[in-house]
Amino acid sequence: MTSAPVARPRKPKDLMSRIPAGFVRAVLRGHSSLGLAFAALIYLVCLSGSIAVFAHEYQRWESASAPQVSAVTPDAVQAAFEGAIARGGKDVEHVYITLPTDDFPRLLLYVDAAKDSEFVADATGRIVPGKPFAWTEFITRLHINLHLPRTWGGFLVGLIGVALLSSLISGILAHPRIFRDAFHLRLGGSRRLQEADLHNRLGVWALPFHIIISLTGAFLGLTTIIVGVLGMAMFNGDVNKVYALFIPVPPIDDPRPAPVLDLEPMFSKLPQDGGRLEYIFTEHPTEMGGAALFNVKRPDRIGRTDGYAFRRDGTIYHASKSADNNLGEDLLSGMGQLHFGWFGGGIVKIVYFMLGLGLTYLAASGVNIWLARRRDKGRPAPGWERIWSATIWGQPASIAGAAVASLIMGETAAAIGAWAILSVAFWLLAFRFDARGLGKVGRIATGVLMLLVVGVHLALRGGAASADAVAWIVNAGFLLGGLALLAPDLRRAASSGPAVVTH
Amino acid sequence: MEDSSPFWPALLIAVTSGAGVWLLRRSWQGKASRPGIVAGGWALIAASLIWPAWQLGPARGPFIALALVSAIALGVVASNYTVRQAKARAARESLAPEPSDRATTRWRETLRWLLAGPIGMVAAMGVGIAWAALVPGEQQTRLVVGGLIVPVVWGGCMAWTLADNRIIRATAVLVGVAVVSFGAAILKGFA
Repeated sequence: MTSAPVARPRKPKDLMSRIPAGFVRAVLRGHSSLGLAFAALIYLVCLSGSIAVFAHEYQRWESASAPQVSAVTPDAVQAAFEGAIARGGKDVEHVYITLPTDDFPRLLLYVDAAKDSEFVADATGRIVPGKPFAWTEFITRLHINLHLPRTWGGFLVGLIGVALLSSLISGILAHPRIFRDAFHLRLGGSRRLQEADLHNRLGVWALPFHIIISLTGAFLGLTTIIVGVLGMAMFNGDVNKVYALFIPVPPIDDPRPAPVLDLEPMFSKLPQDGGRLEYIFTEHPTEMGGAALFNVKRPDRIGRTDGYAFRRDGTIYHASKSADNNLGEDLLSGMGQLHFGWFGGGIVKIVYFMLGLGLTYLAASGVNIWLARRRDKGRPAPGWERIWSATIWGQPASIAGAAVASLIMGETAAAIGAWAILSVAFWLLAFRFDARGLGKVGRIATGVLMLLVVGVHLALRGGAASADAVAWIVNAGFLLGGLALLAPDLRRAASSGPAVVTH
Repeated sequence: MEDSSPFWPALLIAVTSGAGVWLLRRSWQGKASRPGIVAGGWALIAASLIWPAWQLGPARGPFIALALVSAIALGVVASNYTVRQAKARAARESLAPEPSDRATTRWRETLRWLLAGPIGMVAAMGVGIAWAALVPGEQQTRLVVGGLIVPVVWGGCMAWTLADNRIIRATAVLVGVAVVSFGAAILKGFA
């Protein structure tokens, strides 16, 4: 006797499948318009952001020959502070001191004066000779303000964050099968369908990451304008009243000249309660009205720091414990770290880098789908195909070119110049090559320039003699990336073998 | 004191969430509904997001897990890709939905982008500032949450105005929201 087969219930229709077709088509139209309008900027911001995740590692790489510092004494910090001010030139407004940690074994000083400058010091506080962090500055500023004036560039990047957030909203609504097809990844066959599968799988499984990145990025970029409007609407135009709710009010300005601020007595007044001093922000350090804010990081917390602000005479005028933070203060203090992936060590940075590249591809594939759809419908747009190919392959090559220029010249301006020239050159190449040819030129150029980065670093920036493992890891990353990009051509060259001449 | 190392917890997060995604995929592959497997899959993913809060910090842990779970899920999907053969059927017969082909004019398109851009921004700022002014709670929390509302509402406005064919309705709603929210916030003031 056999038992009758048990009938399993059929899968119910999901909610998304009930969205009316007319609504889907309308939202798809909006998604497509927005994507096309912002694709290139979203692509550039996402690409530079993915690379900028490793900003601290690049700083170690750029100062590969600098001494590794695991801990510093207060008198060493004071010596470095005075040395940086002496070298920083006239009109020193602020000095930012980053103290060494396990992840960043450097004593770093940034002097905000008539001309901004950065210095690295050894464990005794002696400023060591070296080139500034031109590449790190280039890539982080490209991401944060696209090298435009800070307010406008920041606003534009904030707007790009909003456009990305909007694309995520419309992207989900415009694809009723996006959850139903969540595990489909079909490669090959029609290019449009392959791109659509990749676009939609990346879009749905990395959605929490995409929302975090676009929301925090938009917030950080739009802060200036939001605070400005808030100040106008609610505080009679005084934006300082808004900022005063979050940062300690500086002491009364007193511009009379004075000796360099003495930080040593302030160190002794910091509580020893398990926190780690990671940052000192000094204001007007050579004036009578000078002040210093010490940030003490709490372990296992995103962004949470205790703050102790001192007057010139070493008395505390403000103390804030992060344990007393409200939700708003916690959210604000963690926003930057959450955006850049600087809260979970190397593992999270690698994951952010990979997911960031996925988001970059998401922006590129959206336009690829549009171009493929036009071609499928018998209305190809070869001009746009060339321009898009020049953009998506020109930018990696231009950024790699900027890395080479920054290592050779040691100036951010040189990196910006190289990036701009190469970007324009790729768009000009679009007149000469078709989309496929541009892709090949861009891939080879990027690969070669990445290998060149390693060569220049080893030859000119002390990479070959560096005792810092991270400098070697960064070089290995560039090397592997470059070889991976060149692999198809290297394989082809190897398989074709040497030419045989017969008589 | 340094942050705790996320290495071993990350490994456990990867294993747990990977198992969860694998269960979801198994259910998805079958023709019939299997609620037990689906519930088990989601439970494993939820657990891998929650327990790191105790191990790695209350906010730090779940955010580390969130990034890892996305990456692991993509890894599971990528490892199960299939190769599709090109079909003879013309791609123009694709069943995928096509964007609507609405008739439009230059001034309607201009107004549409104005709504998605500056007018949407003003309306979103109004909503954010009204939140900061009208909702009870700590001042800093109201301001930051209000600030976070701005990109979300602006993004929603963009998605809506670029999709909606009834552009006058969208104009009326956004202008109305901006006037009402700013008016209410200014009348109430910030305290």
